[in-house]
Amino acid sequence: MKLIKKGAEGDLYLTTWNKQKSILKVRKKKAYRNPLLDEKIRRQRTIKEAQIIVEAKSFGVDTPLIYLVDIKSCSIVMQHIEGTLVRDLSDSKLVRCCNKIGYIVGTLHKNGIMHGDLTTSNFILSKNKLVTIDFGLANKTSKPEDHAIDLRLLKEILGSAHVYIMKKTWASFLSGYKAIVGPTRLAQVTNLVSVIESRGRYATVV
Amino acid sequence: MLCLGIESTAHTFACAVVEKNGKIHSDVRKIYRPPEGEGIHPREASRHHIESSTKVLVDSLQQARIKIKDLDIIAYAAGPGLGPCLRVGAVVARSLASYYKIPLYPVHHAIGHIDLGKLLTGAKDPLVLLVSGGHTMLLAFMKEKWRVFGETLDITLGQLLDQFGRSIGFASPCGKNIEELAAKTSTYIQLPYVVKGNDVSFSGLLSATKSISSQKEKACFSLQETAFAMISEATERALSFTKKKELMVVGGVAANKRLSNMLKSICKRQNCKFYVVPQQFAGDCGAQIAWTGLLEATAKKGSALENTFVRQSWRLDSVNINY
Repeated sequence: MKLIKKGAEGDLYLTTWNKQKSILKVRKKKAYRNPLLDEKIRRQRTIKEAQIIVEAKSFGVDTPLIYLVDIKSCSIVMQHIEGTLVRDLSDSKLVRCCNKIGYIVGTLHKNGIMHGDLTTSNFILSKNKLVTIDFGLANKTSKPEDHAIDLRLLKEILGSAHVYIMKKTWASFLSGYKAIVGPTRLAQVTNLVSVIESRGRYATVV
Repeated sequence: MLCLGIESTAHTFACAVVEKNGKIHSDVRKIYRPPEGEGIHPREASRHHIESSTKVLVDSLQQARIKIKDLDIIAYAAGPGLGPCLRVGAVVARSLASYYKIPLYPVHHAIGHIDLGKLLTGAKDPLVLLVSGGHTMLLAFMKEKWRVFGETLDITLGQLLDQFGRSIGFASPCGKNIEELAAKTSTYIQLPYVVKGNDVSFSGLLSATKSISSQKEKACFSLQETAFAMISEATERALSFTKKKELMVVGGVAANKRLSNMLKSICKRQNCKFYVVPQQFAGDCGAQIAWTGLLEATAKKGSALENTFVRQSWRLDSVNINY
């Protein structure tokens, strides 16, 4: 087993499962966190992630296959996805991908799922398919406020990590999102994004 | 080149003389203390600042062993903060600048925290965790601005601690009192833990903690454990996303030992260097304003008197940085 990434959520190892190249994601104990709190977070997120990754597949969103879930050790064995993180793509490819991300997020929302961690490092471009990963913060919800939280986070990341092309990527995302959820819902959710932004510190001038 | 920095955004009125080579010649401050159980009353705080201003200014010049005429530039905190308080610092700055004909620089208070942090810790290209009464933000510098990679969606970490502290009878700022009470127990009561990607939300946690405030020590302990774990997780997410190799913590809450221990542990895991601003300069001070003023002076001329406003609301990520 080879450690390939120490993520914020858990450690990722490259391993094999039934002779298939696969990923082992372990949510290790975090010494800095109170043990009671730590246990609850790791267990809940492992279960949620596995459940929602499977559910997302059922309505056509590409996610890794889940091979094994072990709640005791808070680990998941899943399909290894070969490809490039959307974060590391060239600008022009990133703009195109954002449109696809719009479709994906629209489909998730339409089916009552919020991803919870929509950053450009949670999508892998693999053989022209866009695969969504990292559902640890995902939740089953149809509330427009929750969906707006998803959009706001993506907007924050596009406006910081990819600030040079923020306008293009955001417009590209919104057009994809609109194609799935429709113009009325888009207006409702984007309005709520503005409301959330206005609650931010020093966002509104007094 | 010598700069006088004047800080008066909230509870602190402070003056400092700093030299261009980074030497802090003096740093004098006077802090307004509200009655127990109360927060900063803007009018009372500004009255305190007016009454303290002459002494703080004179002391800062005397400690630096200089006269006003020796100053090359003057910088003042133009925002964000409480209007009545901000105006005191601005009036002092404008009066000195116009009477003695010294160039004047309005400075963003929180950028002062970051710049002084970099000066004192030696961090070069850090992910910045800014935790104070006014801000809770994760920032990285890119294309002439500090960009936000994560922040609070409602109240700040400082507000969370202060508002809870006040509800159990302390006076703002209450971080230290809460830290002391929390150290007396290790019984954790479950509280809402809200991390949304790189963002956090503290308002629900505040209400929930108030509901268990009859058990003071346990409430303080659980509040710290939950809030700091949230901040730490958001920080680790942002570190992992930005791939930065340095983390720098600045702002008043940076003085908290429990928080910096948690963050140290994250940096170890993510293999990145950990910097925390020295405790003496974690809180609001004149040095942060003076240092940013000096940096600004390398890139632009002083502001004309008619452009030296104060701004109560001033987003950090809207400030262009050319130095």
